[in-house]
Amino acid sequence: MTFTLEAPARPRHRRRVSQMIFRAATLFALGLVLIPAIWIVLGIVLRAIPHFSFSVLTHTSAHGGLENAIVGSFIIMVGVAIIAGTIGLGAGIYLAEMSATSQRGQRVDGLLRTATEVLAGVPSIVLGFVGYIALVVGLHWGYSLLPALIILSMMVVPYIAKATENSLAQVPTAYREGAEALGMAPGYALRHVILKTALPGITTGLLVALAIAGGETAPLLYTAGWNDQMPTLALTGHQVPYLTYPVWAFYNQPSNSLRYLSYDAALILIVFIVTLLVVSRIIVARTQRHADIRR
Amino acid sequence: MAVAPTSTALNEPADSVLCAKNLTVGFGEATILNDITVNIGRGHATALIGPTGSGKSTFLRALNRMNDRVSGYRRNGEVTLEGESIFTSGMDLLDLRRKVGMLFQRPNPFPMSIRDNVVAGVKAHRMAKRHQFNDIAEARLTQVGLFDAVKDRLNKSPFQLSGGQQQLLCLARALAVEPDVLLLDEPTSSLDPVTTERVESLIANLVPSISVVIVTHNLGQAQRVSDQTMMFFDGELAEFNTTKELFTNPQHPLSSQYVRGHIG
Ligand SMILES: Nc1ncnc2c1ncn2[C@@H]1O[C@H](COP(=O)(O)OP(=O)(O)O)[C@@H](O)[C@H]1O
Ligand SMILES: [Mg+2]
Repeated sequence: MTFTLEAPARPRHRRRVSQMIFRAATLFALGLVLIPAIWIVLGIVLRAIPHFSFSVLTHTSAHGGLENAIVGSFIIMVGVAIIAGTIGLGAGIYLAEMSATSQRGQRVDGLLRTATEVLAGVPSIVLGFVGYIALVVGLHWGYSLLPALIILSMMVVPYIAKATENSLAQVPTAYREGAEALGMAPGYALRHVILKTALPGITTGLLVALAIAGGETAPLLYTAGWNDQMPTLALTGHQVPYLTYPVWAFYNQPSNSLRYLSYDAALILIVFIVTLLVVSRIIVARTQRHADIRR
Repeated sequence: MAVAPTSTALNEPADSVLCAKNLTVGFGEATILNDITVNIGRGHATALIGPTGSGKSTFLRALNRMNDRVSGYRRNGEVTLEGESIFTSGMDLLDLRRKVGMLFQRPNPFPMSIRDNVVAGVKAHRMAKRHQFNDIAEARLTQVGLFDAVKDRLNKSPFQLSGGQQQLLCLARALAVEPDVLLLDEPTSSLDPVTTERVESLIANLVPSISVVIVTHNLGQAQRVSDQTMMFFDGELAEFNTTKELFTNPQHPLSSQYVRGHIG
């Protein structure tokens, strides 16, 4: 009997080549995602930093600053977190935990799923326009906080619900059965064992949602309006300033100082979102210190 | 194959903690347990043996209604705990599970600290005040012989413990809610021999204050820890007898073959 090394060596060689091609392709894809992102962030930072002045943070747009927009964006994001967070979390829990067990539940499940998918597919400017027609004009609320919160929440509830449902579905059966066998009520087990395990995924969903809400312009133009004074907490009747407005509107202004303000607003938005990321990571790390698999 | 149960009159109802009466269980079309009638003796350690797929886990899970939420589950017949049906609306499901605890094949500590794991059930059932949790955790960990190994990391994750230690932790958690019955589904099949021996001697110490039902594939283990044994075959109770009798003088041809290692 004779052995030939050629035969096995060939496929192995081919496998190595295909592996290299695959790795190159994934690196290329990664670059495709990362490089524009870095480019955008760097572009903003490099343009904003040279003439950044902290007075921007302490003056309203009426006096050449962005304080009103910062506070407005903050109010909008907190509001969306409360409204969309509650509804999205509730819908996600319902989809993952409740709907599977009853027939009526499954029908509601199908309905919610369809609504979720349709909502996720509607362009934000269309939603904004609907908000304008129905809430700003229709209900005579005027450009104000409430229509903005409602429209933004409608946009992001699907993300939060989906993220919640997915992360709950990934909680190991062993935890559920363990809790059940100990005699924990379903709601108690959900709060004390299951939600905790699902928290990283849910937090990520909430974060993406808030980032979307913070970065939206079109629906806010239609619902929140704009205001160069400090915003109030009034739900209706008062226009609300927000950071994406100066980014969009001041950039094309002839005056240099306004253009600089638009860079500053973009920079502050980035800081907002990075802060959000860091805070959520800290929350996840703190609640997951006993976790099975670290995420 | 139809199997006729031989001796089932081992325990009087009055001496039994759990009784199954004509219990038939199915998932969808398939019938998994067929007409099981058995009295599980109070204060005994009862082994449950039989080939894989013979319905041992399904039977065990019927005793604390863990099958209820499995899709397609259907049941006929009765199970009583201390003479009271576990299926009536008067039976509090959560309290049933407190009284009839369960340990699984794979250790399943919760994603919380070691201490919180031990008192998780105690908290859920409001069985003690917050300031007592430390003492309860220590007592239960001591009972399962785990305290010395974990006393410096009570606030740490349980997932750094070995598999055997995790299973002991789950046992401590189950014991902390002061159950009357403990259902063990192959509790040592994923453990090393040393820990297996530990768990076996713990079980021996639990009876008679806690009645134990233990599913096992390890016939040696059945003989070491139990004094009564149920032999399941194909969803039916082939034989129920004292462990000694069943292993030395099996009445049923199937148990005779099984304990001599010819089937399973
Ligand atoms: N949830 C379920 N749905 C359908 N069939 C099941 C389910 N659980 C168990 N079975 C079936 O019931 C039979 C007995 O299973 P089980 O009680 O786990 O046996 P054992 O523990 O003795 O190995 C097996 O044939 C298994 O496929
Ligand atoms: Mg089994």
